Amino acid sequence: MMLQVENLHAGYGGAKILRGVSFDLAAGEVLVLLGRNGAGKSTTIKALMGLLRPTAGRVRLAGADIAGWEPHRIARAGLGWVPEERRVFPELTVAENLEVGRRPAREGLAPWTPERLFALFPNLAELRQRPGARISGGEQQMVAIARTLMGNPRVLLLDEPGEGLAPVIVDLMAEAILALKREGATVLLAEQSLAFASRVADRAVILETGRIVWDGAIDALLADTGARARHLQV
Amino acid sequence: MSVLVAEGLRKRFGANEAVAGVSLAVEPGEMLALIGPNGAGKSTCFNMLGGQLRPDEGAVRLGGQDVTGMAPRHLAHLGVGRTFQITASFASMTVRENVQTALLAQKRQAWRFWQAADAQHVGLAEGLLARVGMASQAERPAGVLAYGDLKRLELAMALAGDPVLLLMDEPTAGMAPAERAALMALVRGIARDQGVAVLFTEHDMDVVFGQADRVLVLDRGRLIAQGTPEAVRADPRVRAVYLGTAA
Amino acid sequence: MDLIFLQLLTGLAGASTLFLVAAGLTVIFGVTRVVNFSHGSLYMLGAFIAWSLLSRLPREPDYFVLGVLGAAVATAVIGAVLEVVLLRRIYRAPELLQLLATFGVVLVVQDVALWVWGPVDLSLPRPRWLRGAVEIAGLRFPFYDLVLIVVGPAVLGGLLLLFHRTRWGLLVRAATQDRDMVAALGVDQRVLFTSVFALGAGLAGLGGALALPQGSANLNMDLSVIAEAFVVVVVGGMGSLGGAFLAALLIGVLQAFGIALVPKITLVLVFLVMAAVLVVRPHGLLGKPQAMARGEVEALAPIRPAGPALQVLGLVALLAAILAPFVAGPYLLSVLTEAAVAVLFAASLHVMMGPGGMASFGHAAWFGVGAYAAAFAAKGLGAGMAVGLLLAPFAAGALALLVGAFVVRMSGVYLAMLTLAFAQIAWAVAFQWVEVTGGDNGVLGVWPDGWAADKPTMYWLALLLCVGGALVLRRALFAPFGFALRATRDSALRAEAIGLDAHRLRLAAFVLAGAGAGLSGAVFAYAKGSVFPTYMAIPHSVDALVTVLLGGVQTMAGPVVGAVTFTVLQSWLLMGDFWRIKLGLLIIALVLAFPTGIAGAASAVWDRWRGRAA
Ligand SMILES: Nc1ncnc2c1ncn2[C@@H]1O[C@H](COP(=O)(O)OP(=O)(O)O)[C@@H](O)[C@H]1O
Ligand SMILES: Nc1ncnc2c1ncn2[C@@H]1O[C@H](COP(=O)(O)OP(=O)(O)O)[C@@H](O)[C@H]1O
Ligand SMILES: [Mg+2]
Ligand SMILES: [Mg+2]
Repeated sequence: MMLQVENLHAGYGGAKILRGVSFDLAAGEVLVLLGRNGAGKSTTIKALMGLLRPTAGRVRLAGADIAGWEPHRIARAGLGWVPEERRVFPELTVAENLEVGRRPAREGLAPWTPERLFALFPNLAELRQRPGARISGGEQQMVAIARTLMGNPRVLLLDEPGEGLAPVIVDLMAEAILALKREGATVLLAEQSLAFASRVADRAVILETGRIVWDGAIDALLADTGARARHLQV
Repeated sequence: MSVLVAEGLRKRFGANEAVAGVSLAVEPGEMLALIGPNGAGKSTCFNMLGGQLRPDEGAVRLGGQDVTGMAPRHLAHLGVGRTFQITASFASMTVRENVQTALLAQKRQAWRFWQAADAQHVGLAEGLLARVGMASQAERPAGVLAYGDLKRLELAMALAGDPVLLLMDEPTAGMAPAERAALMALVRGIARDQGVAVLFTEHDMDVVFGQADRVLVLDRGRLIAQGTPEAVRADPRVRAVYLGTAA
Repeated sequence: MDLIFLQLLTGLAGASTLFLVAAGLTVIFGVTRVVNFSHGSLYMLGAFIAWSLLSRLPREPDYFVLGVLGAAVATAVIGAVLEVVLLRRIYRAPELLQLLATFGVVLVVQDVALWVWGPVDLSLPRPRWLRGAVEIAGLRFPFYDLVLIVVGPAVLGGLLLLFHRTRWGLLVRAATQDRDMVAALGVDQRVLFTSVFALGAGLAGLGGALALPQGSANLNMDLSVIAEAFVVVVVGGMGSLGGAFLAALLIGVLQAFGIALVPKITLVLVFLVMAAVLVVRPHGLLGKPQAMARGEVEALAPIRPAGPALQVLGLVALLAAILAPFVAGPYLLSVLTEAAVAVLFAASLHVMMGPGGMASFGHAAWFGVGAYAAAFAAKGLGAGMAVGLLLAPFAAGALALLVGAFVVRMSGVYLAMLTLAFAQIAWAVAFQWVEVTGGDNGVLGVWPDGWAADKPTMYWLALLLCVGGALVLRRALFAPFGFALRATRDSALRAEAIGLDAHRLRLAAFVLAGAGAGLSGAVFAYAKGSVFPTYMAIPHSVDALVTVLLGGVQTMAGPVVGAVTFTVLQSWLLMGDFWRIKLGLLIIALVLAFPTGIAGAASAVWDRWRGRAA
């Protein structure tokens, strides 16, 4: 297993949000973390990333228990986070944004370079010298993903990459994720839209009030009308 | 008569003309959707209509009165309620206090120095929160709400002023598809019942085509199509620049 | 003509050292978001260390360079230690608490420097080559001035290269914009922050060392240079190196000519220029609007009115305060009177700082205006105490209205600096308008009416007016006005969209704060019988800040707890030698122990305890 999450607990101050989240992610797999807004998807991802200290539980990344590590160590160990707010550095150019993300190549993975990323997101190539604040929301999302890929992560954590974007750009995002998958990337995707998830994911887990309530192949979920109605209201 | 009429709005930022001549009108009780690619100029339009930005050219009329460049607080008292793309609420107050503050502001009662504010308009505030499905979170601090819940809170605050016009910039961003439809159905009900004119942007096509009476499509600062949802959906230009496979 | 030219040269040379200090300050602020009050102390340490090195080294140019660089490196190391030991622990604390902690460092360093180097100004014997002149185009230029004039742009160029041509610089710029994101991309923030702090400190040390040959190392240089450096950074635009350079030139030259032409009001001149620049360009010459640092909003928990238990506690305390004169001796009674005054002084600052979101570095100005108004009523008008007590809040409030009209348009550090500027001007006026204010000698004989002349009655009167005033302010903060004010602080955008007039609300808070402080000043004047310009000086403004922050900004009980604690601490600690180091360490310890203030910490403990009980 590339990533194993066992009984993860986390919260903000006194508020307990995650109450025992467990799932596995195999190498080369795209797993979607579904759940309505406020279910704790972003909280899960932040807890994995060390931005929020888990109060209990284990997170194994390629064998190492990374729970409780600091974010920069977790990033170096191979988790790459693309936040839902994108958080592109507004005053750095697109090229500089990518540079900030650069980390040494990882054994067994073809290292990402700006050139390879501009091939993945052709729109970005001509925006190289544009400051992050002066590109559109869709372009910012692409920069955020590309920047994280520059760190050659073992696992990519994508938090609602299609949120707030025009349908054509959402299509682009889905294609990019599929392209990454063909290259063997391992992806954990947080999503509210089953439609988007079904285009890219192999497997799904559903999060509800801080617990996993459904776990299985995405096709099984699409077929399971009862579970969809119960957990996703669709 | 139209609630809101905008004519020839233009706005440039440096060399970039974000909005290049937009005219539109919204009728009472109408749900008008403004859609378009990211960066097309939708938020800039909203900010010119809501008074946050002054247009370089063009005019805005509200119920026949010229309100071009009028400050947001005056527009608020004329019945313009709005929600923002990047939510703006009072993070250090509870959800209920947020709505109470909006009610106090709208009723011009903010300049009172003596009576206890949290006892004012409690019933009204709770009623508004119940309407947007936030009653159970009334006592939580707004600063810790999930994104979609903040959008609902914003809607409650916008409704506190009994608006004639609602400007909603991506009102359902951050929500699950089922919630989106529910929220916009709620807004639609309010628009119908109270004759409120609603102008909104939205990227979820199910919401746009399901809830809007009319759709305007903006691309690079210009309107490239408008009409009924069906007509816009069939427009090849709109498919190319915006809809993709969603059509 | 020559004289003017020389003056210009002196100004440009001074601008260079000023730029070095300001550059360090602005770089540190950019990345860590800490407004480092102790930056002047690093500058002072640079000068002292340079003196120790240079006075032992041979007086040759090479060794001079070596000594100066040595001092810069030593200061950088001190800065790094400071960052690791103290600042690292408080990056998540509210901005103003960080400021307070660094002010604690100022106090500590002052006493350490006093202990190591003694109270005497230390100047360097200047060898011939340092005093020499260079002839260019028939004019003789002082050699060392030329050296300094070259150093400024050279350092600016070096810094720009460092920030724009190296990976380290890129990471620093990224961290300036979103430091958590940088960490999540695998960058160790601690190394980055420590190195940035060391760089900033080294620049301050370099400035101090380079300034040494033309002046002396002394114990006053920390606060005087920090005020100037703040002005430079703010005029240039927070975080902008180029802006800091331009502003340093402007201020340096202005000062050189000011001292030659109008020595008395140079300071006023500098602050007037700052005010003028900020009115035209609210973010400084080259500054951009400051994006709210991420996570700041979350730090503000909702303000709750006191629960029943706390109210009972408050009532008991009030009762004890009322009964105090029956048991307290005259000394304790005067301490208690001061505490009562401090309560209103702090509560008034809290109105604008907490719910208003406008931190003031110059709150003592209103206190002083109130005190002088009382003095004027007593001596100028020969009127009774009632007139003075009534006149004071009106005078302070009216002036606050005038000043506030353009101050409240600013935000954050800019607003704080403008209030500091006006306080400095008010102080200078009080100090120099001898005919009216008596200058440094103050106004004596501002005594209360006969009926209030004995200590207990005066104390009760102070208690009534000050604690009563604080309670009135508290009431307003829980009234619709207070809600609207907090709304404006949390999101001006949303506040305007629901129909609130943000500008007028902020102005009202500013005026209320001014009037409250004015009243406390008048009470203090009658209690002490005299009024001095020091009432308006920076240290008194800092007292108010310390008091509010000590108590906690986000609790209404904060100012009261802070005022009582601080007054009592002061009357114990201010005795004896080395009070600064004691006070400084105490402030640092308090900030580390209670990052949300004493009252904030108490209410957190209370919540937890109740949560467990429930
Ligand atoms: N910074 C925060 N402080 C306190 N509570 C928070 C914070 N961020 C999120 N929450 C709460 O945590 C819960 C889960 O939020 P989140 O993980 O963002 O949900 P999702 O990403 O699934 O929409 C929500 O109830 C939200 O209110
Ligand atoms: N305050 C601003 N300053 C400079 N450019 C801006 C500003 N606001 C928006 N823009 C630019 O105007 C264009 C339209 O932006 P916006 O109205 O936010 O688009 P939309 O809401 O349709 O995504 C974009 O190119 C954006 O970069
Ligand atoms: Mg989320
Ligand atoms: Mg927008």
